[in-house]
Amino acid sequence: MAAVEISRDEQAFLEYVQGGGQVETSDWLPADYRAKLVKFIEMHGNSELMGVLPEREWILRAPTLQRKLALTAKVQDEVGHAQLIYRVVEDLGKSREQCLADLVSGKSKFHNVFHYPTRTWGDVGVIAWLVDAAAIISQKALLKCSYAPYARIMKKICWEESFHILHGRDVILAMVTGTPAQFELVQEALNRWWGPLMQFHGNPIPAEDDPMFLWRIKSQGNEEARQQFLDGYVPQILELGLTVPDPQLRKRDDGVWEYTEPDWAELKSVVTGHGPCTAQRLAFRAHFIDQEQWVRDAVLAA
Amino acid sequence: MNELLLLGLADDELILGWRDSEWTGIAPMLEEDVAFSSIAQNEIGHARAVYELLADDADVLAFDRKPEEYRCAPLVELHLLDWGRTIARRCLYEVADEIRITALMEDDDARVAGLAAKINREEAYHRMHAEMWRERLADTPQFRSAVDELWRYALGVLPPKQREALAARLGREQVDAVERGTHDDAFAALHDEMTMVRRSAPAGAQW
Repeated sequence: MAAVEISRDEQAFLEYVQGGGQVETSDWLPADYRAKLVKFIEMHGNSELMGVLPEREWILRAPTLQRKLALTAKVQDEVGHAQLIYRVVEDLGKSREQCLADLVSGKSKFHNVFHYPTRTWGDVGVIAWLVDAAAIISQKALLKCSYAPYARIMKKICWEESFHILHGRDVILAMVTGTPAQFELVQEALNRWWGPLMQFHGNPIPAEDDPMFLWRIKSQGNEEARQQFLDGYVPQILELGLTVPDPQLRKRDDGVWEYTEPDWAELKSVVTGHGPCTAQRLAFRAHFIDQEQWVRDAVLAA
Repeated sequence: MNELLLLGLADDELILGWRDSEWTGIAPMLEEDVAFSSIAQNEIGHARAVYELLADDADVLAFDRKPEEYRCAPLVELHLLDWGRTIARRCLYEVADEIRITALMEDDDARVAGLAAKINREEAYHRMHAEMWRERLADTPQFRSAVDELWRYALGVLPPKQREALAARLGREQVDAVERGTHDDAFAALHDEMTMVRRSAPAGAQW
């Protein structure tokens, strides 16, 4: 519940959220704030759902029963997150059906990392470990989101994502300590994913210029998130004997990571629907939405 | 312990778990993505528990046999990425499986009877799920034709002496069953896919 009575004045609302205040569904929300929330949260829901597809085909290829169970459970979690997140969007006035329609028509977006192919079991490990690690950094920052219903579900989501990271690290660990060919699968996957991982948190615009930060939907800037990712995971990657495919990567004496400028043109192109797997994955999802429309109709008619 | 019967049961659960897990990400509603994923995990967990009664290493039984050595019923192998047939299979399979599992709960071997009882407790939720969907889709042509189509496959899940019970439960006449022991091309493709990562490293490699 909101701690203070929020005036219908946008400036007062802004000051309230910038001071760390949180609001509920039933509170008055400025139109711009509501629109930004829907856009941000819907993209998160889309990403959880589209994030299933890169891993989905590997559920069938998991090499042991334990891995099969763990991967199935992980991907199940992601769908569960999409379900929770779309509910928050529904409370803000946009139906799940509309979210899915806008997703498959390309009107709304999803995270860059889910537009790329999953080539080997090495990619499965890198996705579960490092993509989920990058995602959890963003998601932890959402625990302080000014929109309280979203912040609350993030607790469950972060808790589950931290399990995925453990699963991913375990998959990677088994392979880097396995045969040379297995090690190579991991290194090749890391080489493929490094670029998209460095782009994941977005270009380094100052937090103050980011409308999502202005409304305190996000509580940290893009570069801050990326630095946190590098700080947390580069040492772990190196510890496993892997090479980070960026010769310019180094930690300065003041603790700041330097790296080759990520390819921002690629990021823009990918998230606007021109990634290597965008069209194929959206078509795949759309195919099943169409094919199973009769099921939803039958359920609604019952 | 009837090892051949148990191997058939475990292979049924394994392959059906594999088939059901294919719905992850593409089911008609998100709730069903989650439900099918849970069911698939249970089925594979059951397969693993039964394999462990039969061998030291469940993974070796699950992955390292030749396709023709699997004892699963043709019902579970069918590649059915449409909801009417998928639900028809679930409904038919759950009834057949209940007859089989209930019988095994009376098995002379305490390990078999105990495991059957444990599996039965989880299957109770799968039956509720199947029953809910049967009620919802009962009047749709997609579901009705799928049940007709799959009925002879469902009979093949059970040994002949248990088939009358299945026919009685479902109010259908017995027909020639599609028996265990043969596999279609879709199974060869599934086997190839489910073992491809594992086969890519020498036997004994850790994954």
